[in-house]
This record gives sequence, C-alpha cells and structure tokens, in this order.
Amino acid sequence: MTESIRTRRSHRMRPRTVKIVRDLRLSSGRVLVMAIAIAVAVSGFGAILIAREALMRDSTLAYRDTNPAAATLDVPGGVDASLLEQIRTLPGVADATARQTVSTRVLVDGSWLPMRLFIVPSTDSLRIAHFDVESGEWPATSGGLFLERAATGLLDADTGDSLTLERIDGSRATVAVDGRVWDAALPPANQERTGYGFATPALVERLGYASLNDRLLITVEDASGAPSRDQARVDEVAGSVAAWLTADGHAVHEVTAPPYRHPHQNQTETVTDLLVAFALAALALAAVLVASTLGGMLAAQSRQIGIMKTVGASTGDIVRLYATMTVAVAAVATALAAVPAWFVGIGLARLVGSILNIDIISAPPGATTIALIIGSGILITLAVALSPIVRAARVTVAEALGDLEVRADSGRRIVRALSRLGGGDRSAVLATRNLLRRPRRFMATVTLLAAGGALFLAGINTSEAWTTWVDDGLSKRTYDAQLAFAQPVAVSELAAALAESDAVTDWESLVTLPASPASADGGVQVQRIYPDGGHGVFSVTAIDPDTRLVHFDVRDGHWLRAGEPGSVVLNQAAATRLGDPDLGTAVVVSVEGRTESWTLVGVIDEVAGSATAYVSTGALDDLLGGPEMATAVRVVMPDATPQAIEQLGQRLAAADLPLQSTVPTTELRTAIDQHVTVFIMVLVALALLMATIGALGLASAMTVSVIERTREFGIMKAIGARSSVVGRLVLTEGLITGVVGFLLAGALSVPATGLVSSTLGRLAFGLPLPLVISGGAVVVWLVIALLSAALASSGAAARSARLTVRESISYQ
Amino acid sequence: MSTAIIDARGISKVYPLPAGDFTALSDVDLRVEAGEFLAVVGRSGSGKTTLLNLLAGIDRATAGTVTIDGTELGTLSESRLARARGTSIGLVFQFFQLLPTLTVLENVMLPIDFAGGSTSAQRRTRALELLGRVDIAEQADKLPSTLSGGQQQRAAIARALANDPPVLLADEPTGNLDSATADSVLALFASLADSGKAVVMVTHDRDASGFASRILTMADGRVSTDMAVLA
Repeated sequence: MTESIRTRRSHRMRPRTVKIVRDLRLSSGRVLVMAIAIAVAVSGFGAILIAREALMRDSTLAYRDTNPAAATLDVPGGVDASLLEQIRTLPGVADATARQTVSTRVLVDGSWLPMRLFIVPSTDSLRIAHFDVESGEWPATSGGLFLERAATGLLDADTGDSLTLERIDGSRATVAVDGRVWDAALPPANQERTGYGFATPALVERLGYASLNDRLLITVEDASGAPSRDQARVDEVAGSVAAWLTADGHAVHEVTAPPYRHPHQNQTETVTDLLVAFALAALALAAVLVASTLGGMLAAQSRQIGIMKTVGASTGDIVRLYATMTVAVAAVATALAAVPAWFVGIGLARLVGSILNIDIISAPPGATTIALIIGSGILITLAVALSPIVRAARVTVAEALGDLEVRADSGRRIVRALSRLGGGDRSAVLATRNLLRRPRRFMATVTLLAAGGALFLAGINTSEAWTTWVDDGLSKRTYDAQLAFAQPVAVSELAAALAESDAVTDWESLVTLPASPASADGGVQVQRIYPDGGHGVFSVTAIDPDTRLVHFDVRDGHWLRAGEPGSVVLNQAAATRLGDPDLGTAVVVSVEGRTESWTLVGVIDEVAGSATAYVSTGALDDLLGGPEMATAVRVVMPDATPQAIEQLGQRLAAADLPLQSTVPTTELRTAIDQHVTVFIMVLVALALLMATIGALGLASAMTVSVIERTREFGIMKAIGARSSVVGRLVLTEGLITGVVGFLLAGALSVPATGLVSSTLGRLAFGLPLPLVISGGAVVVWLVIALLSAALASSGAAARSARLTVRESISYQ
Repeated sequence: MSTAIIDARGISKVYPLPAGDFTALSDVDLRVEAGEFLAVVGRSGSGKTTLLNLLAGIDRATAGTVTIDGTELGTLSESRLARARGTSIGLVFQFFQLLPTLTVLENVMLPIDFAGGSTSAQRRTRALELLGRVDIAEQADKLPSTLSGGQQQRAAIARALANDPPVLLADEPTGNLDSATADSVLALFASLADSGKAVVMVTHDRDASGFASRILTMADGRVSTDMAVLA
C-alpha cells in the first residue's frame, strides 16, 4: 500500500514522472506480469526473426559461393577436352566443365546405404560446383575419396578411415577416405540417408565403371556478358547448348537446371514463415495481455485520473503519462528479451543450418531485424495499450470521482439460471455475478486464455498430426524393403532367386526409370533436378495394378486397373510438377530417350515418395528390351533386420542380380523425420509459449480484479464475512474463468489446428496433414487452465485475506 | 460596479433517470466577486454540490452559462476545461483527494507541472512557499497517508493555490475534520478571501458558514436565500 512507497528525493524529476515511477513500483506484481509477457513473446519472436535472417543470409551466401552449375546436361557419349573448349565459346555460356556421377552403395554397420560419387578430374579447376577442402590434399590419391562433411556422421568415417564400396559386379572394394570437403549445395547426408563423396576418375575404374565425363556443367551469362542466374535465360542457353550438341552428333538425354537456391531453402523459408506467424500470434497475445492488465490498472487509477484532471491535466496529458509508463515497461522488457532472443535465435539457426549443411556465422542481426524486434516489443504493445489508455483518460472528473456502478442487467439471465442450479451454495452465483460486473474485462480474459489455449492445442495437435500422417503414410506400404538392381533383371531369374530364400514371404517386382516431363511434340523439357540426384527427381514406375504391397489413398480419379493399358496415375508431387493436369488429359514424358504418352486416370497421395508417374506392368517393356523385366523388387520379410536384408542382397548378387541400392521402409521414416523434426520441436516450444502467455493473462486479470475490489472485500469482512469466504469466492471466479477459457480454447483449436496442419503439410510435402485432436494435449491444457486459475486466484485471495478491514476500507 | 469572477446565469441541471427526469438545479443565478467568501448551505440533495460541480466545470449545465474569470466554461472542450481548471480554479474536496503515491510537495507541484512553463526549481520554490503559507512546510517530503486529516486538507488547499487561481471552490472541506482543525481550515479560507480570492464553499455545517462573508441557502435545486454576513 501507500505506506510502503519509498520516497527518495526526486525533486529534479517532474511530478508526473515521479508518479509513473512510483505507480510502477507500487504495482510491481502486475508490471512484472506485463514485462514477463512482453519479454517472453519478444524473445520468441526475436529468436525466430534472428534465426530466419541468419539462415537466409548464410545459406544464400554459402550456396552461391559454391558457384553451382546453372545447368547440367547428360551427354551419354561423354565430353572430352576439345568438345568442352568448343562449348565454352557458345553464345550465352560463361564457363563449362565436364564430370561424372556414379551411384553405388556403401557398407555401414552391416547395411548398405546409397552412395553418390561426384567424379572430378584432377585437372578441374573447381570454378564451377566448387567445394571447400576441410581436411586432406585434393585431388584424392589414386582410388581414394573425399567425404562430404555431413556424410561423415552417417557413414561413421572420416579422413584416414576406409570405406567398403560396392563394385559394379557386386564385389566389394575398400576405399581410403583421403579427406573431407564441404559442399554447401548438397543436402545433409543424414537426412537423405545417402553418402556423398568426391573422387577422381581413378576410383571409377577401381569400382569397375567406365570412366566417362558424361555430365556437362555450364554457367550462363546474359547478352551483355554478365553472369546470369535468370531461370529463363539459363533454360534458353541450356536448350541451345543441347541443340548444338545434338546437331553436332552428341546425344543429350537430359537437361536439368535446378533453381538457384539450396534444395532445402524453399522448405526452410516457408516453414520459418509459419513459425514467424506463430511467434507474431504470441506477440499479439502478449500485447492483449498488456492491454488487459493495463486496463485493470487504469480502472484502479480512475479516481487519480479524475484528481489530475481537477488540477489541470488534459486528456492528452493523461494519455501521454500512461503511454510513457507503457513504453517504459515495454522498453525494459524488450531490452531483457534481446539476450535470450539472440542466443535462442542463433541456436535455432545453427540447428536448422545443420539441416541445410550450412555454417551459421554469428553476425549481428541487420537493421531491419533489430527494428522489427524493437518495433514489435514497444510499438505493438503501445498500439494495443492505447485503446484502454485513451478510454481511461477520457473519463470525466464526475465519473472518476463517483463510485463505480454495477449495471443491473449484467448477465441477469445467467445469474438467474445459476441461482436455480446452485441450490444452497451461493459461491458460483456470486462469482458469476462478479465476473459479469465487468463483462468487457471478463471477455478479454477469457479470450486471451482461449486464444493461448487454442494455439497451444493447435501446436501440439499439429505435432501429433505429423506423427499420425507419417504412420498412416508409411502404413500404405506393406513391404519391408525396396531393392533396386544395378541393371534390369529378368523377373523369372528374380523369382528363382527369391524362391530359394525363406526370408521373403512375398514380393513384387517393378520397373522404375528416370524420366523427364516432355512437351506434346516430344521436345525434352528442362528438368529441375539437383546434383544430389534426389531433390527435383521425376521417375516413371511400372507396377502391378493389383499390387498387394502399396495401397495409396486416391485423391482424384482411380488407381491403375488391369485391362486399362495406356493409363497413368500421378502422385501429388508429380501432379504438382506437371501443373496439376486434369483427369483424362495426356501425360507426356521422355524416358530413356523416348517420348511416351499416357492418359491420366488418377492422382494419389504418397508419403515419402518423389515425383512419380505410375503405369501398369508392361508399359515400359519396350524400353527394357522385352517383357518380364524389373529394375527393383519390393519384399516382405518377417525378420526385416538390416542383417537379413543384407543377406538377401548377397543372395541376389550371388544369383547374378547385383543391387544398386537397398531402402528399408524404416529408412523412409528416418529420412522424413530428419527433415522436419526441428520445426516440430520449435512449434511445440511456441505452443508452450502461448500457454504461458494465456496463463499469465489469467493471473493478471485475477490480481487486478481482487485489487480493484479491495474496499469491497473490506466491507464484506466488516459485516461478518470470513477471509475463507472471500478466498473461496475469488477462487470460484478464477475457476469459472479457467473453465470457460478451456471450453472456448477447445472450440477454437479445431479451426486453428486445421489451418496450421494444412499449411505445414502443404509446405513440407504438398499434402495437408490430417486433422488430429490430441486427447493428451486437451487434458494438459485443462490442467494448465485450472491450475493457473487456482494459483492466480488463490494468490490474489491470499493478498486480500492479509489486509485488515481498516486497510481494505481505506484502500484507494 | 465591480466585475464578478464567477458569473452563473440561469443554470439548470437535469439528470435523465429511468423513472423520469430529475432536476438537481433549476434556473440559478450567481455572481461572486473577488474577495468574497461564499458559503453554500442546504440540506442533503438541495443541489449545492451540483452547483459547485457546474462552477468547477466538473459537470456541464443542462441550461444557462457559467463564466469563470471571463471564460465561459460551456464552450470549452474537456481538455481546455481541464486547462482552465488548472489555471483559474482551485478545488478542495472533503476527502482531500491527494495522489497517494506523490509526496505532499509533489502533490502541490503537480498542477504547476500540468500548467507548464516553469522550471523544476520554480515549481519547487512555489510549492514550498505555499506549504509554508498553510503551515505544513515540514511535512513536504511525506506521503499524504502519513499526515493527519487537517494536514492533508491544508496540503490540498496548497495544491489548489498552486497556479494562483482567482477562484477557490471547496466541497465540504471540513466534513472529515474535527472541529478545532475545521476552524483553522475555515480561517485559512477566510484569509485567502481577504487576499482577493473568490472562495465558494459548499457545506452542510451551519457553524462553518460563520467564517463566510456571504451565505447562500439552497433548497430543492433553487436558491432560497442569499445574504451577506455583516462583520
């Protein structure tokens, strides 16, 4: 109370400034709640902004520093030095080099993982697709390799170790790891579940492959000779180079020109945008909390405002006074938030940077980010607080110095209904009546609690939806592993080999070939495949229409049917790549140098699948030189351990069916989870932040409500009410608010969850996540709402109980 | 004829209530000149506080005009009204209405601050001078809650005089004081009137009116008697 104010001599300050300082000190509890809410929200918002800026800045710089090829042309006949020189002189070509890419397998802990080797001639100056050598001396020794640094963890090997690689004939080769490089243009190996290595042609020969620089990498310049990354210009130049090569007698199978950005950058950008939106919501909630708390404080100061007006203060003076107070609190809270925002932001950026395989430099945030953080902390708070400040400042002297009147009709019906239900206990009736005395504040508190709860539930629901979505998606695949062969094999030979194995209880063969979307006239379209060979890939798979091993959900049309040759079904990624064609239209692709056209009969949802066009078995026979051929097999194994799958691979290799890759279905889950786990974690953290702000709002509202009614409680005690009665009344008010907030949060969480889940799913994999309501989260939120209501109101009630009747009645 | 500092003409105040309009003040004329100490007396509900609120610009008249020191209050916006109060009208209340978080000195400095145009040192000097004038200079750095009722009312009077207004309006200023303290406060009002202020005091205490130079009696929202007190 006023006795507790220390009046240090502050004669140099203006009295109105002194008032601000003392009011803040006197209301330290409420000010603390406001400051915590702002600081927590600004920390979250600032951290996301700082992380986003660092990620966007450093990933862009790192990716561009590699000077990735603007376009890569697949020239099966190879590009020798003399041809390369001619290509460098072609119009629009800024620079060119020729390399080779070999896909093989690497043995890790008894299991084979895909291994992609980038073969770089020792004479290559690394002007294009540059990589940094972190250890060892490039070029590699004869037959050795350099590992991309993100692959060292996946392969459990580093400089000085050796790896077991598979030769083309299925035999094994021990290869020395001569060093480690960083290629910022590659996605991390652990996410793609693929090893990446760099070597000279000597390794290619050791592995039994033909050494041939069949990948032509070019960079492009514009008409004035300046380097260009304009996608249209790149496509144009790549197309003209392909045409020139073809005219010169060099076949070109594929032209690919991926976007000039890291393969994960788009996904990271859009998901961080979603997080920014969540953080903004937290900020808005905090601002509402501040406005609500301030509104309560100002209501308690109404008489003082009236007094100031009687001694000459204008409405503007009062507004400036309390606006200054708000800005002071917001500024301190924002300053306090700066340090955690920085550390959390940089920590988050580093975490996500590891996903992108990018080093995050701890450079200070830019002026825009700093301005946004300060603006969010101070200006948003002030903007929201201005409404209650202006409302309070407009009070007339007569209103301010008169007693607060209760509207007779406030919630009369509800109170009457409660009276009927309540029987002898009047607590609920009295508590409801008290809450409805200030319907605007009650609605603000409930809305704050409900919004915090809804966003908390939405965050948790979305994280559960993610798990459910992956579980459901993977349950559509009832096989345990997919084994891809190094060369097409005859199904009869495969059947014979599998018949001898009791490890496989069921299997289906399929044909999967890389393809390119093509125009109706047969011209090859420029593809958007990244050098890792995974991102941006498009393939055609011939599969048994009556497959027992996959059961994808059909989004549009129907699945393949036996007896419907010429039909094609696209998964959602392929449909998006082809511009979402209508059912019944022709899908034209180039496969193995031939143009094929099928009629679209359906679109499916496929979790963990790259862009794929599905056709019926036999549709690709001509391309493989005859019927009953396969490039891969899906197997069902009762004991699908890595060892069992490896033994199966050995058995097939022994039957002259060497494998190129083995992908256990469990690996798909690991790969998917690795891509988004960190975002889900951040989403859950933001959800908890929302819950905290909601609970703080309730605590603040209860405290304000009790302080406002100090005099009233004193009168109640003076006429015989015990402290416990007053305490029970306050507790009941808090619990009613908590329950109403909980119910509203539950209702609001459904559309909020739908929105967040749908956005995250579409951004991440082109499919909306299912609407999942987490029972656990609902229970947790109920506990949080009731517990915070009980704690907040019991704290306020305890404060009220401590006051004597004299103190209560003389309170002003 | 001397100029009236307070000039109220035909003022009425009607409150619309669910049960029908309630006339708190009906067609009252009042002129108060500098140096007058007017006591407004009457029973509870007679309209005396309503009259004071209209004179102070706390409430607006339903009809009629109120002119204070040459300024007609009815034409002013709320903010300009507040400014006018700060410079032309000093207000004293029954319950003192000091700001609890400011010291006595700071309470007195506050109106000077809102009026603007003074330095920190000027504000302080002026406030200390006023506190000395009401005999509580030694209480300057204390909070209002630590002072007696009489001291608080003196502090409130010092605050009302902060910007040297020509008009001092007091609403039951002795209603919360013991008789000895009340007498000293009333004597202070009388001396202020003697120094040239126009003092209007609403009171239900007939004895309090003994210090006034003029007594206006109200009943049912109208002036029933208005008479000068012979010295």
